[in-house]
Amino acid sequence: MALDYEECKQKVLDGIEKKSKSKSKFYFSDLAKMMDAKPREAKKIVTQMVEEGILVFWSSGSTSMYGLKGAGKQSAAEHED
Amino acid sequence: MAFISSGYDPENPMKDRITDIGPRNYEEFYPPVIKNNKGKWLYHEVLQPGVLVHVSETGDEVYTVRVGGARLMSISLVREICEIADKHCGGYVRWTTRNNVEFMVDSKDKVQPLIDDLQGRKFAGGSYKFPVGGTGAGITNIVHTQGWIHCHTPATDASGPVKAVMDEVFEDFQNMRMPAHVRISLACCLNMCGAVHCSDIAILGYHRKPPMVDHEYLDKMCEIPLAIASCPTAAIKPKKVEIGEKTVNSVEVNQSRCMFCGNCYTMCPCLPLADKEGDGIVLMVGGKVSNRISAPKFSKVAVAFIPNEPPRWPKTAETIKKIIETYAADANKYERLGEWAERIGWERFFEKTGLEFTHHLIDDFRDPAYYTWRQTSQFKF
Amino acid sequence: MAKHETPLLDQLESGPWPSFVSDMKQEAESRAKNANNINYQIPVDVVEDLLGVLELSYKDGETHWKHGGIVGVFGYGGGVIGRYCDQPENFPGVAHFHTLRVNQPSGKFYTTEYLKQLCDLWELRGSGITNMHGSTGDIIFLGTTTKQLEEIFFELTHNLKQDLGGSGSNLRTPADCIGSARCEYSCYDTQDLCNHLTQEYQDELHRPAFPYKFKFKFDGCPNCCVASIARADMSFIGTWKDDIRIDQESVKAYVAGELKPNAGAHSGRDWGKFDIQKEVIDLCPTKCMRYEDGKLEINNKECTRCMHCINVMPRALRPGKQTGCSILVGAKAPILDGAQMGSLLVPFVEVNKENDYQEIKDVIEAIWDWWMEEGKNRERLGELMKRQGFQKLLEVTGIDPVPQHVQEPRHNPYIFWKEEEVEGGWERDINEFRKHHLR
Repeated sequence: MALDYEECKQKVLDGIEKKSKSKSKFYFSDLAKMMDAKPREAKKIVTQMVEEGILVFWSSGSTSMYGLKGAGKQSAAEHED
Repeated sequence: MAFISSGYDPENPMKDRITDIGPRNYEEFYPPVIKNNKGKWLYHEVLQPGVLVHVSETGDEVYTVRVGGARLMSISLVREICEIADKHCGGYVRWTTRNNVEFMVDSKDKVQPLIDDLQGRKFAGGSYKFPVGGTGAGITNIVHTQGWIHCHTPATDASGPVKAVMDEVFEDFQNMRMPAHVRISLACCLNMCGAVHCSDIAILGYHRKPPMVDHEYLDKMCEIPLAIASCPTAAIKPKKVEIGEKTVNSVEVNQSRCMFCGNCYTMCPCLPLADKEGDGIVLMVGGKVSNRISAPKFSKVAVAFIPNEPPRWPKTAETIKKIIETYAADANKYERLGEWAERIGWERFFEKTGLEFTHHLIDDFRDPAYYTWRQTSQFKF
Repeated sequence: MAKHETPLLDQLESGPWPSFVSDMKQEAESRAKNANNINYQIPVDVVEDLLGVLELSYKDGETHWKHGGIVGVFGYGGGVIGRYCDQPENFPGVAHFHTLRVNQPSGKFYTTEYLKQLCDLWELRGSGITNMHGSTGDIIFLGTTTKQLEEIFFELTHNLKQDLGGSGSNLRTPADCIGSARCEYSCYDTQDLCNHLTQEYQDELHRPAFPYKFKFKFDGCPNCCVASIARADMSFIGTWKDDIRIDQESVKAYVAGELKPNAGAHSGRDWGKFDIQKEVIDLCPTKCMRYEDGKLEINNKECTRCMHCINVMPRALRPGKQTGCSILVGAKAPILDGAQMGSLLVPFVEVNKENDYQEIKDVIEAIWDWWMEEGKNRERLGELMKRQGFQKLLEVTGIDPVPQHVQEPRHNPYIFWKEEEVEGGWERDINEFRKHHLR
């Protein structure tokens, strides 16, 4: 059964908000857990959130993470804004 | 400079966007002689160092002239390669896995003019642009990583040591006197984004000092949970630190657990670890990836540390030369460096090469260590 | 005159091996001269500053780059590596200096027309410095500003019909050996399988949702020229099931010294007359060959296809005709728990273009489903295999265990039997037991 996008999106936003005091970047598996979904289903939701400009990727080069657009300390430190 | 738009609209990134098209199809890039004979090749021969002929069941032949190149390459040089390929090879050229460039022609009479053209081209500083070689039982090009030119966690440079070592062994790039081929690789830190761990000789950059902690700025620039999570040995913990009047959030590094990987610096610029005295080179030997005769092998640490000596890393180059010459003189035909070392025994390897054996060379890292200790009464005095 | 003095780097201009310093200097000069009146989109002196910052590293013995979290173009989670100089005031040309990975065509064959287009694009919008190629196989564009990333991607996709490669926790750009395009040893079409899977898995390549990186590499034969067995999470190594093809006349020609052993690869030294007994028969790891009365015999049933005899006598011996590939999984570099070679999972599978390689894709997707569900963050497939066991891998891929899967059987008897494997199950009646065994 396909997941409901709006519902999952809200779960992800709530999940990120809950942790926002300590961190701004999340592994893909963290997001999948927030929406309680299998990885392949979760990926569709996350991809759509990226395309809508809600989530952005962050990469260490070897590892990728996701965060809310504009969140986090490093984007400011890189003077890209 | 005036900005030139490609047609991309930052306000509307999805407009006319093309994605997920992958690479160009390989078939577009085959020279005719390859396209016509793919899957039909009967045999090959190395005619001279750097020159191969492949013969097809159709009777067609393709002659390949292989040249070494620095993988760090300017577009001026790529354009020169194109000019040569246009002149001799009908506008086709290819690269190998080991950063060599291959010029292919479809008849023997085209080979010598191509070689002459390639060998005749030199840089202003005097080095060859396109040295012919890198085939058979010789020393081919070194595969390597970025180093100081572009990486943020290197413990050594890459292009510099490669140039220095290739200068040292250059005669064997253009010769085939080795018992078997010798593959040298370089990775500029232990993360090994160039997988050097199965090379006849691996040059590996290594840090030896744990990261410094820039307490005053750490919490302003970094996310502490990410810095902690980045450490593969769980050596980083949160810590509150007094800076003057203020208490700030920061981290503490358990220095004895640090393996010097730099992953925390990737996540947090307030944890730098590079250090002129601390950083240098580890030499590993005896690995291979081919399944020929013996199974693939991992490289083993033969020299625990050589300081960085820019610009030409003389001790590194000299040590590698010494290992290669000992191998060349002592190994049997077809025997790879690691097979030779195993046949004569590692105790003999150290004796013959004159390399010093120190406690650093005995594995003490996690489970695999035990399997490297000697569990037999058989050894050589 | 050069913008920065580079006395240390200058010492890398001498010697025979191609000097990257000389090459960078020629690019710096070319940009300064700008003979074609190019409206450079990043600073004209970018290469001068790159030389300058490298010289500083040679002096300091330390790098001057910082990592940046920027990952790609809009919608992609890979393909770009963010870099910032930690001395931006001294080297403003390289203050923001990001790398793009451009997915190389399988086999790394090129037309000059295509390469020139790449050069033109990279001259206009980047540093003009490349890696041909990066360790994984991509064409690397070394250094441009953030603003140019989307512009370059737009031109790449619209004008060059060319996409970016992978980075981060995704499928990394697959790479292959030259394969049957120009190698008689190749047991399958590496280029086609590499290209097909690259195209098939574009979403996995561009949008990271894996626990960590994942690599495919394709070697046409057990010589493993792209080192798949050492560095790919899944390596596809060409092999064959039937008999090595022998041309006895050519064998005799090798024995008689008319043909050069090992295709002439040892011609730099006088190794003496070719001795088939010593150089082939005795070195065969399974001792399955003999040469008697001018005839070479191979007991093919015992052959483990190491390639040695074929490498030594390529005009006399060829791999069999019933070809395909073995799939080995879980190779990785040492970080963290030590290096791992690929472990044999599928001893033989046909490489079947006709059905779009479905058997191979079934294995890939079963492995991904398992790893995506069970893999911890930053855990490579090989580490998950160690943690959950080879049995688990067999279970998720539906592959039956065979002796080929192991070097040798286990050293301990600590078998974690499952209840359903034990006759009568685990439920027992203690009172029934007590009827025969007093407390």
